[in-house]
Amino acid sequence: MANISIRDVHKSYGTENVLKTFSLEIGDGEFVVLVGPSGCGKSTILKIIAGLEPASGGQVYLGDRDVTDSAPGDRDVAMVFQNYALYPHLTVRQNIGFGLKMRGMTAREIERRVIDAARILAVDRYLDRRPKDLSGGQRQRVALGRAIVREPQAFLMDEPLSNLDAKLRVHMRAEIGALHKRIGVTTVYVTHDQTEAMTMADRIVILRDGEIQQIADPDTMFQKPVNLFVAGFIGSPGMNFLRASATEMDGSPAIEILGMKVSCKNRNLGSASKLIAGIRPEHFNVGGGEFSVNLRSTLVESLGSEKYVYFDVGNDLIDRSSDLDEEFSKGLIARIGQQGRLNEGEVIPLSFSLENLYFFDAETEKVIS
Amino acid sequence: MKRTRAQSIRLYLGVAAVCGILIFPIYWLFITALSTTLELKSLPPTFWPDPPQWQTFAKVAEERPILLWLANSTIAALGSVVLSMFVSILAGYSLSRFRVRGGNSLGLFILTAKMLPATLLVIPLFSIFRSVGLIGSIWSLIIAHSTLIIPFTTWMLKGYFDTIPKELEQAAMVDGCSPLGAMVRVILPVSAPGLAATSLYAFVLSWADYAYARTFLTNSQNNWTANLGITTMRGEYVTDWNEIAAVSVFVAIPIVIIYLFLERYLVGGLTAGAEK
Repeated sequence: MANISIRDVHKSYGTENVLKTFSLEIGDGEFVVLVGPSGCGKSTILKIIAGLEPASGGQVYLGDRDVTDSAPGDRDVAMVFQNYALYPHLTVRQNIGFGLKMRGMTAREIERRVIDAARILAVDRYLDRRPKDLSGGQRQRVALGRAIVREPQAFLMDEPLSNLDAKLRVHMRAEIGALHKRIGVTTVYVTHDQTEAMTMADRIVILRDGEIQQIADPDTMFQKPVNLFVAGFIGSPGMNFLRASATEMDGSPAIEILGMKVSCKNRNLGSASKLIAGIRPEHFNVGGGEFSVNLRSTLVESLGSEKYVYFDVGNDLIDRSSDLDEEFSKGLIARIGQQGRLNEGEVIPLSFSLENLYFFDAETEKVIS
Repeated sequence: MKRTRAQSIRLYLGVAAVCGILIFPIYWLFITALSTTLELKSLPPTFWPDPPQWQTFAKVAEERPILLWLANSTIAALGSVVLSMFVSILAGYSLSRFRVRGGNSLGLFILTAKMLPATLLVIPLFSIFRSVGLIGSIWSLIIAHSTLIIPFTTWMLKGYFDTIPKELEQAAMVDGCSPLGAMVRVILPVSAPGLAATSLYAFVLSWADYAYARTFLTNSQNNWTANLGITTMRGEYVTDWNEIAAVSVFVAIPIVIIYLFLERYLVGGLTAGAEK
């Protein structure tokens, strides 16, 4: 096991900069998740760590070794791919043992380690099958087996769960988490699924357009996003963003939001006049509260234990759907615990508290603390 | 959609007609070999000789150097397959995997070489072979056939390699293979159906050639291929068509056997590239 140090790495194809200066220190045994929308550069950095893509500049260290120019096979890392990348012409046994064979290990040692890895991942019954005879979950386990059998310095995982169905994904997520706890190998995990990032990571790195937006543990990332993008990306459903402007009320700072003035006595609003107010869907309540507004619902989605209620607030809502690879915004969303029947088209009194509001500078998109 | 009985009958009649058209020349070749010269000239024609002249096969095997011709054809065809596959695997893989400026145009340009008629290349090839002393050598045939085979097999293999995920060789490289090692240990075994189909194409093209053999090997009897040998059986005044047909049957047998062995690869190999 080893720590990974990525120093000022950048990558460009011609004039296109797909990865701007990227620096990250990953501790020994740490589980770091790189997350971001499509094309943000997360897979590129993983391939640079693996040696499958050359960096345009910067250095990659694995432990004390500068591996920037080393061949992938000389780096002592193992990689799990989105499509598993199992060798279709080899059996499970040969697939898992392939890397060991390439390293010149004896047949006896290979067999022992293959069986150990297969037992850990519960695929020891399928050792003589070929990948095409396995289910998606079994293939994923074999791919993990191929990684752990080498006892590498680090695991690199490129969206390893995205080809699985929702139920199996949750199951394998837990298995990978348990596996990491058991063997403690430094892991860099790439996903576009913020739920995976939140549930698995020791630390999350959020990327956008080839740039790091924030590096933090999941709770900090959720509670203290540094900018509009991170605030919108983390959380499901994502945070609502409303146009707001700084004003005064009874001599104290206030903001105008959803057509009402909200006093912000104890909050720092910075110096910007144009603001964006963020509120997470779960911070709305039905009924009276510190601030209340009556809104007509446009859509009610019931999940059984809770409801997602959408409201059309017109131009007050800032549509950030393109940031999140979504086609369109359905409107302001409130996540309401079971409150009896809520109908589409019904006027619903919504309330929220000042302490749950986030403020962002509309120009820089940075959070105002 | 379920077919009606009438539609089924029409379909089967159509299939039977096409099969008949395709099979008739083979049947006629076989019948010609088994007929006497008299029967071949009779009108109306004889559709099954009485009695079949099986001894014609033994006669031509004894009188003509068929084994030598077949051996030369085999050497030329296998040589062409080895040379053209070696080049087109590397070329097809490079075109599929490495993004270079003009790479796509280069792929198409190579394919246009396939569109040139074989006879167009005869004169320049003859001139080149004569200057390097290859006229009369079986190598002239191997190289000439490869010039025809390589453009198409390169293009075909590029299409096949395109269907194989890049992650396979990336996984192999992370596992410790060099880029060439990943190709040899992972990509080529996975491409077996495509390689079989392209090799068969190369083999058949070389095996069926007459024009190049006639041009480069005419004065070198020991190197005659089967197709060239057959044409020398035609006399100025008398031609024994039954003997020519009997030798032709011998020449066709290796191709039939190879098709039977490679059939399961062939279908997969020919259709896999079509997905892209």
